[in-house]
Amino acid sequence: MATRSVQQGLKQVKPMLSVDRTEARRRVLNLYKAWYRQVPYVVKDFHIPVTVEQGRAKVREMFLKNKHVSDVRAIDMLVIKGQMDLVETANIWKQRNHIMMFFQDTVNPKPADFLSKFYEGQD
Amino acid sequence: MLRLWPLRQISRLQNAISLTQQACNKSSVPAPSPELVEVFVDDKQVFVEPGTTVLQACAAAGVEIPRFCYHDRLSIAGNCRMCLVEVERSAKPVASCAMPVMKGMKVKTDSPVTRKAREGVMEFLLVNHPLDCPICDQGGECDLQDQSMAFGSDRSRFTDNAFTGKRAVEDKNIGPLIKTIMTRCIHCTRCIRFASEIAGVEDLGTSGRGTEMQVGTYVEKMFKSEMSGNVIDLCPVGALTSKPYAFTARPWENRRIESVDVMDAVGSNIVVCMRSNEVMRILPRLNEDINEEWISDKTRFAYDGLKRQRLTTPFVRSGTGELVPADWESAFVKIAERVNATDGDLIAGVAGGQVDAEALIALKDMLNRLGSESVCTEEKFPMTNSGIDFRSNYIMNTTISGIEESDLILLVGTNPRLEAPLVNARIRKTWINSDLCVTVLGAPVDLSYDYQYLGDSFELLTDILNDKHPLAKGLKEASKPMIILGSAVLQGENSGAILDTVKSLSEKLRAGSEQEDWKVFNVLHTQANQVGALDLGYAPGVDAMKGSKPSVLFLLGADAGTVKREDLYENALVVYIGHHGDYGAQIADVVLPAAAYTEKDAVYVNTEGRAQIGRQAVSPPGMARQDWKIIRALSEMLGVTLPYDKLSDVRARLGEVSPTFNHAGQVEDAGFFNLSDSATVPRKESRPAVQPLSPALLSLRDFYMTDPISRASLTMAKCVQAVDDAEKNPYSKPEQS
Amino acid sequence: MLSAVCKSLVSSTARQLRAFHRPAAACSDKLFVHRDEPNNNSETPFEFSAENIKRSEVIIANYPKGHEAAACIPLLDLAQRQNDGWLPISAMHRVAEMLKMPRMRVYEVATFYTMFNREPVGKYFVQICTTTPCMLGGVGSDVILEAIKENLGIGVGHTTDDNMFTLAEVECLGACVNAPMVQINDDYYEDLTVDDMHRILNDIKAGKKPKAGPQSGQNFRFASEPKTGLTSLTEPPTGPGFGVRADL
Repeated sequence: MATRSVQQGLKQVKPMLSVDRTEARRRVLNLYKAWYRQVPYVVKDFHIPVTVEQGRAKVREMFLKNKHVSDVRAIDMLVIKGQMDLVETANIWKQRNHIMMFFQDTVNPKPADFLSKFYEGQD
Repeated sequence: MLRLWPLRQISRLQNAISLTQQACNKSSVPAPSPELVEVFVDDKQVFVEPGTTVLQACAAAGVEIPRFCYHDRLSIAGNCRMCLVEVERSAKPVASCAMPVMKGMKVKTDSPVTRKAREGVMEFLLVNHPLDCPICDQGGECDLQDQSMAFGSDRSRFTDNAFTGKRAVEDKNIGPLIKTIMTRCIHCTRCIRFASEIAGVEDLGTSGRGTEMQVGTYVEKMFKSEMSGNVIDLCPVGALTSKPYAFTARPWENRRIESVDVMDAVGSNIVVCMRSNEVMRILPRLNEDINEEWISDKTRFAYDGLKRQRLTTPFVRSGTGELVPADWESAFVKIAERVNATDGDLIAGVAGGQVDAEALIALKDMLNRLGSESVCTEEKFPMTNSGIDFRSNYIMNTTISGIEESDLILLVGTNPRLEAPLVNARIRKTWINSDLCVTVLGAPVDLSYDYQYLGDSFELLTDILNDKHPLAKGLKEASKPMIILGSAVLQGENSGAILDTVKSLSEKLRAGSEQEDWKVFNVLHTQANQVGALDLGYAPGVDAMKGSKPSVLFLLGADAGTVKREDLYENALVVYIGHHGDYGAQIADVVLPAAAYTEKDAVYVNTEGRAQIGRQAVSPPGMARQDWKIIRALSEMLGVTLPYDKLSDVRARLGEVSPTFNHAGQVEDAGFFNLSDSATVPRKESRPAVQPLSPALLSLRDFYMTDPISRASLTMAKCVQAVDDAEKNPYSKPEQS
Repeated sequence: MLSAVCKSLVSSTARQLRAFHRPAAACSDKLFVHRDEPNNNSETPFEFSAENIKRSEVIIANYPKGHEAAACIPLLDLAQRQNDGWLPISAMHRVAEMLKMPRMRVYEVATFYTMFNREPVGKYFVQICTTTPCMLGGVGSDVILEAIKENLGIGVGHTTDDNMFTLAEVECLGACVNAPMVQINDDYYEDLTVDDMHRILNDIKAGKKPKAGPQSGQNFRFASEPKTGLTSLTEPPTGPGFGVRADL
């Protein structure tokens, strides 16, 4: 039940999908479940050198990466993006390397100071 | 000059002294400015000086007349007929390049008569011109192509009914630089006029006549000139093209980057043509003050040296004495270990002649921060008297374009033809167009103009100073005398005596001259950025550095071989920063690959003291980096981080050190003449210089390979070989004059 | 109908005629670059004889100081005369040296003028004019040329095996009124017939010197006067003042 202040706030910002955190949480969990169920197919369809357990762990990791997000609209946005990703994966619109991108090691950050720029050969 | 040389014979009297008298007598009164002539070009009124040609008048009116044989800097031939224009009340179209203007002349540059005349000329030119544009190297920058599109007929009437083919002419072999396809020649004779007027080599000419006329050397021989490559630019068609550039690129594929040459100390302005990160060719860029529109062959053709013998990765000398490829970090660590354990006094730096100002200041700043004051250049310069304290002591004070005002030049120990071909071309130009008299103390080399040879001993110089030599009078009477001192003679022992004597003589002449701001004293350097290094406070010569037996030595592009292992502390660490695997890299313990002049934005100061910016055309190969960045990065590893991260910061620092660098392209006038002169104390009993005043480069063979880039160049090696072969050719023997 | 066809035919021919017809290029049989030959290279000995040195000094003195190059043609001619009618490259070098000219400038002159022979010629250099007036005048130069070829057994540009004769076809030598004509060394033989030609060549072969000038073709006339006698300028030339107003 929305309190008065929430209602006031919602008047000011248009909700994206969810009107409150509970609804947003439900959407996130639904998306998580969908991904969870999709992982075995992903592993099979894309012939990736990853086990189902590793895939699920990666899904969990990706979700947990955004656990600090508390804005309802932001959560909704992330859910939409996750949904899109899921559809693209399920329909095999993505390719193998797109999936493997999730498992890629962290990309080196662009050098900022002179010496590392020098070693990189970048100006 | 073709037209003038007989006159020159008349005036070539036995000695320079009487000549200068003549020159003095008549040069004082300026001619009254003549009345301007009124000319109508396409009904547009222009006023030009009498004696200008119709073509020039049209140019003044903003109309460009098509031409093949006419060229601003060459004599007028009038044989291509492409510049025909209709002139009112003239029976026939006139060749505008050769017709002087007359009062009230009405020129029609776009009338039916003119257009028809051009079409006709173009048709005749094309009758015997092969249709090989697709395989012609001139394609895309061909005057004939462009002008036939603009002024030719839109269709051909050429039918070869008898199937006899077009006129075919045998190709000539005139050396490893110029490729000739003589069938394409349209007989404009620009190359012949260039050879005889600008280069002063009467090797090219026409043989035969009519259909059989051909341009060439008649006998088979090399076109032996240090600036022969310019005929490639002059040739309006593809008859003379560049041999090294043949079939490599099309002009529209190239990106053109305006830059500065470093092969000699003239600092010729060049255009670097780049395609796919590769230097395809080098062309001259117009700069009236320096190179006009010519460049020397070394400038033009040594670029293939940029792709050979290059250092592409850092090297560190292993325990077994071999240079092993390494990465930047380990190379830096190796240097840092040693430097951190070394006293600042035992660290030194030596810079070569082609190093840019940014790298020079970075090295100097770094060494200063490490506690060392020992930075020097490979090239020597005497430090006697005021030495390099005054800028006027080591630059070409009158500037290159100032040569044209001079009426007497004394060359001391220099062979400008090979050390600075464009300075020599300027002297020749002046010699042709005025009563300039040239005298030479040094070697009796071929300078492409007549001169009076005095000898090569140092005593002659002191005699001139002490008024014991007849030339002393000539110098005194000349209104604008110039003394050009070659840097080569300053490399030997006792060179201070030479500098002092020349300086005293110049000072005497300058003080006695009526011309207020005429500076007599000039130094002609041979290294591209020697003046820049001296401006930045580098000490000239490595002798002082050797004395301190350094234990860590930085060689910054130092490849002349002036420093040997024996000169250093035992087990000294030698760090070479440079772009070619030449002498410096051989003796180094750590080699850091740097960028060559086409690979960096850099400032060079030429012999006039003119700072000029060279632009980056391509990126350095492999792991090579720009010189100043290497030093900047190294300084961080050594714990003395330099306070500049960007090029603009380095430039700002340069500007702090010397105002020269604040106005690129301008000559920074060296002041304090009186002061520097008064600081010159003529020696009472000057020890005579032991060696004769002989320049380093004597024959054309010596010209081609003088620096790491040209030494690595295949084209330059071929030139040396061609010159050697020419020695055996009886037709290439120098002719008596 | 027919006229229409004619018209179109004519107009199409006219169009054809507008096309630019180029005749086969008439090429010289000479080379205009130098090739070293055993008898013509930079080492070929050539030196002016003492007599010719004196002559050359006189020639050079004809021109103002500083313009010695003007003596190039006479000196080359002198060298050619001295050297059996041809100019080795060493002679050009010698002339360049004497006149203080660049060698290339002498080569230019020597190749420009066809009368300088840059390769050896026979003792008698037969030059037959085949330009239009000679081709049409008298019996015509064609038959004369044939006669020479037949007599000497050589073609144009060739030299007989005994190095006595070289035959060259040349352009107008300026004796059109006495066509056809040949020049043998310095002598003109004019008004030729086939018989004259044979006679002249045979005489030369026999070591005799045939009379130069007009031959039997115009009945051995003195110069270029018409066969039927003068038709103009018959009276003696008038003295000075002819036709001038009396009061002047």
